[in-house]
Amino acid sequence: MACTHDHSCEDHDCSSNWSLYKHIDLSKVTALNEANPGSVKSVFKAWEERLNSSGEHLESNEGDPELLVYIPFTSDVKIKSISVVGGADGTSPSKLRVFINRDGIDFSDAQSMQPVQEWDLVENLQGVLEYQTRYSKFQSVANITLHFPESFGGDTTQIHYIGFKGEATQLKRDVATIVYEITPNPSDHKTRAETGGGLSHVE
Amino acid sequence: MVLEATMICIDNSEWMRNGDYSPSRFQAQADAVSLICGAKTQSNPENTVGILTMAGKGVRVLATPTSDLGKILSCMHGLEMGGEMNLAAGIQIAQLALKHRQNKNQQQRIIVFAGSPIKHEKKALEMIGKKLKKNSVALDIVDFGEEEDGKPEKLEALLASVNNNDTSHIVHVPPGQNALSDVLISTPVFTGDGEGGSGFAAAAAAAAAGGVSDFDFGVDPNIDPELALALRVSMEEERARQEAAAKRAAEEAGRQEKGEEAQPQSDSQNATSTTTEKVSDPMDEDDALLKQALALSMNIPGSDSSAGDAQMSEATNDDQELAMALQMSMQEGSKDSSAPSDVSKVLGDQSFMSSILSSLPGVDPNDPNVKDLLASLPGQSEPQQKKDEDEQPSKDDK
Repeated sequence: MACTHDHSCEDHDCSSNWSLYKHIDLSKVTALNEANPGSVKSVFKAWEERLNSSGEHLESNEGDPELLVYIPFTSDVKIKSISVVGGADGTSPSKLRVFINRDGIDFSDAQSMQPVQEWDLVENLQGVLEYQTRYSKFQSVANITLHFPESFGGDTTQIHYIGFKGEATQLKRDVATIVYEITPNPSDHKTRAETGGGLSHVE
Repeated sequence: MVLEATMICIDNSEWMRNGDYSPSRFQAQADAVSLICGAKTQSNPENTVGILTMAGKGVRVLATPTSDLGKILSCMHGLEMGGEMNLAAGIQIAQLALKHRQNKNQQQRIIVFAGSPIKHEKKALEMIGKKLKKNSVALDIVDFGEEEDGKPEKLEALLASVNNNDTSHIVHVPPGQNALSDVLISTPVFTGDGEGGSGFAAAAAAAAAGGVSDFDFGVDPNIDPELALALRVSMEEERARQEAAAKRAAEEAGRQEKGEEAQPQSDSQNATSTTTEKVSDPMDEDDALLKQALALSMNIPGSDSSAGDAQMSEATNDDQELAMALQMSMQEGSKDSSAPSDVSKVLGDQSFMSSILSSLPGVDPNDPNVKDLLASLPGQSEPQQKKDEDEQPSKDDK
């Protein structure tokens, strides 16, 4: 199943663009108002499997199509665009609002806060549509929160795939352990040049 | 070991004055609350617990979620009862307090003690429940106290609307013999979905249930081996001391020959023997030892006194009747039931008493105290004083 844009995919590998899912910290992904706890993790997969609806998918609780998905990354990423594949029969989400680098947002926060960006979505059952971001605002994203306030008339909202296109930096927002030395001795710290690799700088 | 922030909603309405849970509904609730706080903080040191009251002038947050157990317990002091419980507002404010917890990684849980009638409609409660479920807040409901028509159904409906994958529970506690905290210990409210607090719960259950425990002395040798050892050693010392006391008491019973005295003594013997029985092996060994000791001393009636048994042999040398009385009292001592009617007949004789007394070392029959004692023969204080006098010389000799 190749991508359906108008070029042949032998030239480049479409899926490599959508490889930011590898940088998602899956153990810490959470969703609010999901019917099956933990099912949110199933929507992050490779580009080729985006239409593979045989496994689990994310569904909201009966009668309430609102969904909130919190996605932390293992390092800061830059996001170029987002793709969402919803469910059939009006269960696709119709709007998307995103918040960047904020912990612990719940529904009342999400409804009252101004999002970094929001989109009106269309039913994207083939997974060909992507929604571009204002790239300057998405330069160092440690975590992102997606808020789907409503669906296309269905009782619930179903999401089968969420994809991010962009690139990952190596920067992290973790706590750093720094050792200070009063009289450092360069010979104690082997540089990479001496051990045969990389730029020569004292670490 | 789930990382959790918990808000406990306490019912301090007028209905809590009722005494159908001992000592009062409110006190039983307070005990349960302190046990829950302990269990939560013990199962994971980063857990936090907060408290709010639902009745009174309005919903009042006494403590925001904190891991400081002392602060939580101290804010339970001085709570006043009054007014009506407002369940809906209580739960919503608890949810708000949890929303502003410091550590966003903690799971949110609300524990509600519903002891008074609920004035809200089922629909309103279900709406609240749905909102809790949407924000993934778990809810534990303790239904106790006032039994009102429709209250269990309302609470069950609330639970059904909150429950997500069995993280929420409801416990109905009818009034009765058991304390509220004892009933709660075995429920998922304490054990936290089967993990974590079970260690604490087991220890608390052992402490609370008193004598009903699997381990000797109610202390788990695995948890506290030194304490268990110390208790065992002290219990054995106590048993040895009581055996010696029982032996001496049997001697005195024979020597003084007082029926009433023997009875309370054998009763005290029974008491000591039953207490030691409860905790350790049956008293059969001890009884056998006692019998042996008495039989040994009995083996020298009428023959020359041997150096070993001081008072016993002296007394028996003097008096054959005494020997018979000794035998009777020995039988009494070994059996648990006592019916010293025969003995009392023999021993009720005052002249016999005075002759016995004169043969005792250290007792002067002409002493005014002794005369008073003799006069008040059937008195209870007498055996005690006589026992003391006897014990003194026997202690001197030994």
